[in-house]
Amino acid sequence: MTMPRRSLWPPLAVLTLLGLAALLLSVTLGSAALSLADVWALARGEGSPLARTLIFELRIPRSLSAFAVGGLLAVAGALMQVLLRNPLADPYVLGLSGGASVGALAAMLAGLGGAMITGSAFAGAFLSTLLVFGLAHGTGSWTPSRLLLTGVVVAAGWGAVITLMLAISPAERLPGMLYWLMGDLSYSHSPWPPLALLLLICLLLMPLGRSLNVMARGPLQAAALGVNVRPLEWSIYLAASVLTATAVTTAGSIGFVGLVVPHMLRMVLGNDQRLILPACALAGGTLLVLADTLARTLIAPEQLPVGVITALLGVPTFLYLLYRSR
Amino acid sequence: MTTSTPVVRPSSVCTSASNGQFGGALGPAAFFGALLALALAGPAAGEAHAGSLCAIDDREREVCLDQPAERIAALSPGATELVYAAGAGEKVVAVVAFSDYPPEARDVPSVGSHTRMDMETLVTLNPDLVIGWMTGNPPEQLETIEALGVPVFYIEPRDFEDVSSAIERLALLADTREEGERVAAEFRHGMAALAERYVDAEPVSVFYQVWDEPLMTINDEHLIGKVLTLCGGVNVYGELSRLVPRIDDESVLAADPEAILAGGMGEENRGWLTHWQQYPSLTAVERDNLYFVPPSLIQRPTPRLLEGSRLFCEQLDRARAKR
Repeated sequence: MTMPRRSLWPPLAVLTLLGLAALLLSVTLGSAALSLADVWALARGEGSPLARTLIFELRIPRSLSAFAVGGLLAVAGALMQVLLRNPLADPYVLGLSGGASVGALAAMLAGLGGAMITGSAFAGAFLSTLLVFGLAHGTGSWTPSRLLLTGVVVAAGWGAVITLMLAISPAERLPGMLYWLMGDLSYSHSPWPPLALLLLICLLLMPLGRSLNVMARGPLQAAALGVNVRPLEWSIYLAASVLTATAVTTAGSIGFVGLVVPHMLRMVLGNDQRLILPACALAGGTLLVLADTLARTLIAPEQLPVGVITALLGVPTFLYLLYRSR
Repeated sequence: MTTSTPVVRPSSVCTSASNGQFGGALGPAAFFGALLALALAGPAAGEAHAGSLCAIDDREREVCLDQPAERIAALSPGATELVYAAGAGEKVVAVVAFSDYPPEARDVPSVGSHTRMDMETLVTLNPDLVIGWMTGNPPEQLETIEALGVPVFYIEPRDFEDVSSAIERLALLADTREEGERVAAEFRHGMAALAERYVDAEPVSVFYQVWDEPLMTINDEHLIGKVLTLCGGVNVYGELSRLVPRIDDESVLAADPEAILAGGMGEENRGWLTHWQQYPSLTAVERDNLYFVPPSLIQRPTPRLLEGSRLFCEQLDRARAKR
């Protein structure tokens, strides 16, 4: 199988345009009615103070956060699928979101808010990464299946801890905790750290594209072709962990994006990591921006958790592509 | 109230409706710093506040308004009731789901569930005072509201006096003190009269059922537990450490309460009580001491709690009469 030699730029340009369109849509849509003309007036520095607050304080930060989180999750999912050579791998398969959730819920149980929840979630994700990697490394050999099993079992352990915490938590804290677990963007404060990380990681992965393509075929072939497998595996794992931890701490554990976006893109664009990884960043971001726009407008003023919408949008799209492909 | 004299005040704890300044950083250090500033300034600082309306909220922060609140957003059903009780019902511009009392509140625009507010709708309704629920509303969203320059007054009544005091403080901020103080005094005196009447009443052991699946009750710290104590009831689960403990049928059988009081899904539903009739050996069943209490009268810390408490006390009286 040879990689189809096609230019990387046309698909990326199309995805960029789609992403921009989704962002524009999300900024103009909301439970408060603002017309395109209002948005245009604001862009020229005019418009009412109310519209200014709605757009600049509420919608734009939230939409950018959604884009960043979606991109981070999709890239992390694509990396995990390469690392584990398993189509079922997603950013959460190795227990990262479990660790982050336990951290976040513990902070909520202790009555802490805002930055403490974020910090605690990040600490939980980091702990989970160390645990899985340390244990999978163990005394024996280091194989993808061993890593996967370790991760799945650690994730199951975190799952039990989460259930226990929900069971013993006071009733009035439960809704907040459940929303966090379902994934929700109303927590996100500043979109800049996740956006910066997304950009940085895309730039860092660019030169690794070829090695990743070889890795996707298996470590033996990769080694035979001159790739230094072990350090590459470590860096993939570390990169995916940081991406996932950042996404989870920004918006809770949003499912589905990390699993499905890479697969969808592979079906359409082929499995060239040089193309897939930046495409994942753009398509994942676009999907989550659209999903979040629906989540906050569909039955407004009631707010839906965005994770529900990502699955409802993603499942039919994915099944259609799967059915159509041979 | 329109004259605005330049006053020295601890800006980190004062939110000002007119200029929308709000530091956001409200750590204990800032709070104690502010206390210190007040102490150093001496009595004059208190007088300097005369130009504005200030009240301490249940997070111990001083919230100051330059003008009486005219557009109030109440972010819990309980807060809505308290604002109406304070005589400021006409000023309520936003409520949350389940704000069903008083009936007029149903016609006020809702900003969604109290656990997830629709911030856009809230901002569009342009409130000049937001009544937040300390443990019920998501802290991130309340912080965002403050960052947008709208003062948030946190409330969380934990005992009977807190209810009266919340009404008085809300009435102060809305400049409806006459009505608010009347309602607060009525509640305070009503509860005091009950306390006086039942101070020497024969104790009755009681199990109060909050929910059926899972079976939940309350401990003595809970406001309902305090009503039980007030009426001369002895909560069989009063010593448990959780505010709303989850229990099982076995422990109810073991505790063998003299009376079982239950809320329910609706205002008429007695279904939860029939469950206990399968245990005829229970003292409460044997003496037919299974009582229904409409949850809306007892589960919200509002003036209606007085009516609920009277009902509670009457039911315990009936249980005493069956001895």
